[in-house]
Amino acid sequence: MIDPYYLQQLAIGLSLGMTYALMAIGFTLIFGVLNVVNFAHGEVYTIGAFAGLVAITAFAPPFLAVLFLALAAGAAAGFSLERIAFRPFRRFTDEASLKSRAMRESTLLSSLAVSIVVREALEIVFGSEMQPLPFEYMINAPVQAGPVTLATGDLIIFGVAAAMLAGLQYMLKRTRIGLSIRAVSNNPLGARYVGINTDRTIVMTFVVGSTMGAAAGILVGLYYGAIFPAMGFIPGVKAFVAMVMGGLSSIPGAVISALILGVSESMATTFLASGWADMVAYGFLILTLVFFPSGLFGAGRERV
Amino acid sequence: MSGFDARMRPLAVRAGLALLLFAVLPAVLAGFDRSYYYQVANLALIFVLLAASLQLVTGVAGLLHLGHAAFYGVGAYAAALLSTELGLGFTVTLPLAGLIAAVIALLVALPTMRLVSIYFAVATLAIGQMLYLVMLNWVGLTKGPNGIVLTRGLELFGFDLSGRLATYYTVAGVVALSLVALGRLSHSYYGNALRSIREDDQCADAMGVRTARLKMEVFTLSAFFAGVAGALWAHMTGYISPGDFDFGESILILAMIVVGGLGSLPGAAIGALVLILLPEVLRDLGDFRNIMVGLVMFGCILFLPKGLMGEVSALRLARQQFGAAWRRTGNGVGIGWR
Amino acid sequence: MRMRTFALATIAAFAAANLAVPALARDTVTFGYQLPLTGDTAQYGQDFRKAAEIALEEFNKGDKPFTVSIVFEDSRSDAKEGVNIARKFVDDRRIVGVLGDFTSTVSMAAAQVYKNEGMPQLSQTASHPDYTKISEWQFRNIATQAQESPFNAAWMAGSGIKTVAVIAEQTDWGQSVVNTFAAAAREKGLNIIFQENFNRGLKDFRSVISKIQRANPDAIYTGFFYEDGAQFLKQVHQMGIRTPVYSTSAAYSPKLLELAGEAANGLRLTSNFLPNSPDPDVRHFVEEWKARSNGAEPGQFPAQAYDAVRIMIAAAERAHPDVTRRSLRDELAKTTDFPGVTGKTTFDADREPQKVLAKVEVTGGQFVPAGE
Repeated sequence: MIDPYYLQQLAIGLSLGMTYALMAIGFTLIFGVLNVVNFAHGEVYTIGAFAGLVAITAFAPPFLAVLFLALAAGAAAGFSLERIAFRPFRRFTDEASLKSRAMRESTLLSSLAVSIVVREALEIVFGSEMQPLPFEYMINAPVQAGPVTLATGDLIIFGVAAAMLAGLQYMLKRTRIGLSIRAVSNNPLGARYVGINTDRTIVMTFVVGSTMGAAAGILVGLYYGAIFPAMGFIPGVKAFVAMVMGGLSSIPGAVISALILGVSESMATTFLASGWADMVAYGFLILTLVFFPSGLFGAGRERV
Repeated sequence: MSGFDARMRPLAVRAGLALLLFAVLPAVLAGFDRSYYYQVANLALIFVLLAASLQLVTGVAGLLHLGHAAFYGVGAYAAALLSTELGLGFTVTLPLAGLIAAVIALLVALPTMRLVSIYFAVATLAIGQMLYLVMLNWVGLTKGPNGIVLTRGLELFGFDLSGRLATYYTVAGVVALSLVALGRLSHSYYGNALRSIREDDQCADAMGVRTARLKMEVFTLSAFFAGVAGALWAHMTGYISPGDFDFGESILILAMIVVGGLGSLPGAAIGALVLILLPEVLRDLGDFRNIMVGLVMFGCILFLPKGLMGEVSALRLARQQFGAAWRRTGNGVGIGWR
Repeated sequence: MRMRTFALATIAAFAAANLAVPALARDTVTFGYQLPLTGDTAQYGQDFRKAAEIALEEFNKGDKPFTVSIVFEDSRSDAKEGVNIARKFVDDRRIVGVLGDFTSTVSMAAAQVYKNEGMPQLSQTASHPDYTKISEWQFRNIATQAQESPFNAAWMAGSGIKTVAVIAEQTDWGQSVVNTFAAAAREKGLNIIFQENFNRGLKDFRSVISKIQRANPDAIYTGFFYEDGAQFLKQVHQMGIRTPVYSTSAAYSPKLLELAGEAANGLRLTSNFLPNSPDPDVRHFVEEWKARSNGAEPGQFPAQAYDAVRIMIAAAERAHPDVTRRSLRDELAKTTDFPGVTGKTTFDADREPQKVLAKVEVTGGQFVPAGE
């Protein structure tokens, strides 16, 4: 018989990993299509949470309405993010610019600049403290499952993450827009030559990815009851790590890696002081990369 | 253009810069005699060095490095611990701090250097975070969050250098020497080999460039200079704590070289100056100043995506500008984004 | 140069005015206040500014021989900026004393400048054990753990508690919470069976909580600020743990109750500021605060800031008309029984405040003075 303590830690780790996974899904999708890190994804997550919060304090709508409002805010944020921080950099279509790494790094930093502006603006409007939430909206009522205590939020987050993953896989593999997203992600120039509207496809990807980011933000915000302007930072880093560990191109891979990260953090807490828990997660990442230099599920990709 | 011999011009520019750094600027600072200006100047110089050292890895060799601040921290901690525990002076701790940072960089580089592109970036992120966690949590060695109060300030073989002007000259001297070294490294055959990794590492490999080894070297070298910057900061401030070296700091340094222009040493310097001076200049904006910093950064990236300098030397840029103005034939080739 | 002429002119005018009609031209004493107004800890800095403005307004309204002004500078809780500001303040000859910073680390980095240049520095929150040891220029207005820990340990021992788990944030302050409490507890015969620090801003405490639960202590002693505190308490509640939780005065904030809701019930902590105390000073401060913050009550930290500013002003009053950095420092050091909203404050020889602590318990979503 396993010590129920370890089962409990496993459950905590999975639920923690689930919150990372929720964010990693959108992050990976956006990375896949442009091949640049979107530093502002954490802010999209925050915007989703704040949109939900504003809706709650203003109209106190039912839970699902809050969720949809947050999703709408996420979609809008994704659309404008693409417009502001990414599209201007596609004006350089000459070969030198396309090949230049400097250009790619600047796009990366443009999203960082946008994220700084958004975070500072949120801090000025709302203050940097955690926002109080009406308790009836929080999704952390305990649920007893055998020897393990879970919360309602765990189940909701699991459900949403599974739905997101399945929906995304369906969209990518079975629909026309999914096909064009994959085409653009594989070879943007080629996609353009066969008549795919790459700009529209990229916008679509950002909208879908950011909607998922915003959903993650509001769910995790309501789960922990912690909504504040800097909330997207740590999950953003973790999602980034999960994405790379999963091999960049694989969304299920990112989800699995996020779960591994979560479980390794909670298990590490058993043996080490909790301050060191991240050490295990990052150590795990390094080990993974040493043995799988292109991530756990990144097979078939050239190492360049 | 003027009667300058082409080989004389870089020399003249360097002499001009040296004059600016060691004569004009100190004179201006002494003229104002405000310790605040000295402080900001020293801080800006330290970040010029940090940006320039990151430039070598990220700009020249094209390896996105997300954990540079950790090596800055290792240097600062090494200097602080050597100084407080062993009573060593700045003259000894400065090179040792660089060496210790370099050794640690070499150790972590050994297993990770065969990684490429974003995998490399995320590995450096993890290394940076792990070093930060060690600074924060290994209370026995680093005093953890309590930080370290340094008892000895800047000195040279026993001479006290903690006066305002002396501090400035010490910092400026160390930074200038390091910049010369970094400049030599990046504008040489060695630098070209690094550039070949940046542009196409498989091709470079095929041509006989030992990419893995070069990457390891450049990573270690850059950590050395970051460590030197750390020692300067530790001795100058007299108190360090882990918060000075977190992930945000790595990103700040990265932002500096992107704003300044990847691959260009003057660009790194200018980027560092912009991002250190801007928040100070904008103090009067109060709560809004950091939004302004973000906006300026965004504007820089948007309108000058190759950076304020790009991989064009400051000299060439100036020549183009002035030459064009003089000859009235300029069409601004290579400048900015047109 | 112009400054000096101006000062001379003011002095001359003041002297002349003194002969004729007293206090027509009042001179101004200026303090600097370095605090985080932006960034992740801005909420604390914004509160301090509000508290300082209340103190300032009420002093300047009164019939005093001089007026006070404060220069606020934003440090973002970043040591780089903190040192820059320190330099700026030191250069400004008008500034005779500095308040702040918020975190000990930034306060200490700046303190190196104040030590060298001779500027009195009074922090409302810097709790690092070595902070006041930096030089004779450093003061603070926060009860240190050396004082709170034995108090809390005695309280717990008195409630029949035998085994305690201690957990605090991984900061200099959290370290001192864990270390001084462990020492004090041993003295009082308590058994520390678990001792750990967590990284500030940790959102998920459940792993640590189940680890504590496995150690099965009689009580949990915690060192956190209200945000981490609210997370911790909510998750303790969620996991169905009923072990009593004790904490320090740093968690004393109405925002804790707002964020944690019923999960906060039963939390026991110390405080030296009770917003519903009948003391007229406290009433006045709380009223002013509520008027400026949509009816919200102030917590422990703003109260400490309010007192810090008033302690500084009182020292300047004693030093007046000769208010210099040196004279202000000497007068600060003489502060005895200053009647503040956080109780009477006296600086001892090490420039540490001695405070009177009160026991508080959260009952029905309110901070209530706890009986014995």
